[in-house]
Amino acid sequence: MSSSASKRITIDPITRIEGHLRIDVEVDQGKVQKAWASSTMFRGIERILLGRDPREAWLFTQRFCGVCTTVHALASVRAVEDALSLEIPLNAQYIRNLILIAHALHDHVVHFYQLSALDWVDVTQVLKADPAKAASIAESLSDWPENSAKQMAAVKARVKGLVDSGQLGPFAHGYWGHPAMKLPPEVNLLAVSHYLQALEYQRYSNQVVAMLGGKTPHIQNVAVGGVANAINLDSEAALNVDRLYQMKSLLEKIVSFVQNVYVPDVCAVAGFYPDWFSYGAGVTNYLSVPDLPLDGKSTQFELPGGFIPNGDLSKLVPITGQKDETWRNAVTEDSAHSWYKGGGPLHPWKGETDPDYTDWEEDKKYSWVKAPRYNGQPAQVGPLANVLVGYAQGHPLMKKWTDAALEKISAIAHVRATPAMLHSTLGRHGARAIRAAVLSELALKQWQLLTDNILKGDTTIYNKPDFPKGTVEGVGFHEAPRGVLSHWVVVEDGTIKNYQAVVPTTWNASPRDTDGTPGPYEASLLQNPIADAEHPLEVLRTIHSFDPCMACAVHTFDPSGNNIARVKVL
Amino acid sequence: MRTAIYGIGNILMGDDGVGPAVVRHLSNLPLPPNTTLEDLGTPSLDLPAYLLGYDRVIFIDAVAVDAPPGSIHVFTRDEIMAVPTGIRVSPHEPSINDALIVLDFAGTAPREVLLVGVVPQTLDGGMRLSPRVAGAVEGAREVVMALMESILIREAPAAALAPA
Repeated sequence: MSSSASKRITIDPITRIEGHLRIDVEVDQGKVQKAWASSTMFRGIERILLGRDPREAWLFTQRFCGVCTTVHALASVRAVEDALSLEIPLNAQYIRNLILIAHALHDHVVHFYQLSALDWVDVTQVLKADPAKAASIAESLSDWPENSAKQMAAVKARVKGLVDSGQLGPFAHGYWGHPAMKLPPEVNLLAVSHYLQALEYQRYSNQVVAMLGGKTPHIQNVAVGGVANAINLDSEAALNVDRLYQMKSLLEKIVSFVQNVYVPDVCAVAGFYPDWFSYGAGVTNYLSVPDLPLDGKSTQFELPGGFIPNGDLSKLVPITGQKDETWRNAVTEDSAHSWYKGGGPLHPWKGETDPDYTDWEEDKKYSWVKAPRYNGQPAQVGPLANVLVGYAQGHPLMKKWTDAALEKISAIAHVRATPAMLHSTLGRHGARAIRAAVLSELALKQWQLLTDNILKGDTTIYNKPDFPKGTVEGVGFHEAPRGVLSHWVVVEDGTIKNYQAVVPTTWNASPRDTDGTPGPYEASLLQNPIADAEHPLEVLRTIHSFDPCMACAVHTFDPSGNNIARVKVL
Repeated sequence: MRTAIYGIGNILMGDDGVGPAVVRHLSNLPLPPNTTLEDLGTPSLDLPAYLLGYDRVIFIDAVAVDAPPGSIHVFTRDEIMAVPTGIRVSPHEPSINDALIVLDFAGTAPREVLLVGVVPQTLDGGMRLSPRVAGAVEGAREVVMALMESILIREAPAAALAPA
């Protein structure tokens, strides 16, 4: 039990159908002393795949999550291709890479402006802002053309209209006037102005995904063995030069927004909250997988992967590809504190899902999320892991954009920002922006690779898969917007015998394991300041910095079916 | 006038897949010009982007109301907006009313929004609709078609006045 001076806060939003996140923190002397992350919803998905044709698994896996449709489609075909050691054509790699980049850029921008910005931006302060001053601050940050004083004044008027109406609309649930809000009025205005512009840019990414994927949000063009995009420079109906250039012009718009708006905004917010570089580190083992394959066999990657133990970049162990034996053997899931029978760590190919619900018991079982471990240790995944793993290996773009972001933050905060400060709540936001900037450059590079390859006369898109008699095992991984995603498949005589998806939020929202070691969310909340226990804004800041996606994290199936009540709230 | 008809819901979660099922049913029929039909799955935070550029949106979704499973209920925009929203923790929490609130602030929301709701029996994992909800798919499709028809009739005189 907690001491009489401490206070227990539970954040347990009533939400819709997807598995949702419950955070419990014990606060004493204005700081979090203990924390638990739990998912309270039980949810079944992988079981649907058992006995099916592995060639169609991706159609179902992209329904795992409405936000990350494409990533589950691609991890699935990669897993089956890995099981068959099937090479795919270069065009297929590039087309898939472009879809993944467009999706990631969309996702990172949406996460910042639509979900996290309100943790740092006080919309009511906009009314005190001087539009001309906001425009001049914006000008000092980047040369984005849509930052004029006139535009800022229009946004201010729009916010005033909202406040005068007595309803705060999309901002109704922000912690207005909270003592932890520190931005100057003009920076608040700048952020709201870009929040509105970000809505437009979401559409462009969707259009790129739709051009390549046939449809969005559920792409239609993937196949085990490649893609189903007809390439014919002389056909209106196929991928031709016109379409390639239309896509390029959309990509250029997105690239410009990411580099001139999103990155500077994150640096500005970070620069005004330097304290938050000292909270929220949590688990500093980082896991990231290589992605954006550059050859048909997926042995060379644009972005490197690896594991960093205890935040020590010099101890990085690279992950070379899906066939990397260390990676293949290191991943396990433990259910000592999860509502499943058994407890000990199991490899995903041997994964079991046998429910054992007990109610929320802080020292025993308290979550539907299992505890993934890498060589027995918890690991933080996501853009921060991706950036640190790239930085540690000297990836030129990761280095360029990390250094640029730290320099910008240093100038605003008047402190010397260093890579070590990235192990923090704000570090995760900064890393997401850095990763987006890197991906924005790589979008144009992948476009060029695809275009050059097509102009060279290569129109191949597909190699036919051939399923052997007997059992084959495969893993498909992807460095998704929220971090390492891996699909593990066992195929027997051409049908699926076992299928496990170990998703990014499972790594980060992991409960304690057999040894009692907490997961990244839990560890990151410790010692976070709490100014007002009734309004625990600081907890949201740290949890949001991971970009939680609980719908994915809870991906198990209830064989008995009816013991959980589910309510969908509109 | 541009119209979107969107099915919302997860086809892997039992009767939550009723919206997409109605969309599949509608896809075999001719639609009026300037009409988009799509199964959006569970787009959550992505939803506003799919509403931009449309004057009118008809959603088909599973709804929790105190009525028998399989019954069909049409909600107006005002009724959708009357449901309170909450603090968002993950990108899955925003829903139709959240998306409309965002676009109202931006000044780019569709003018007319209707929701054709079907009451689910079970939302447990599985790709099959329960018999009562499966039996409501045809009815929900007819409701959507009737709504489209009444809109076309309402707009016909204005269209007739427009230069050819």
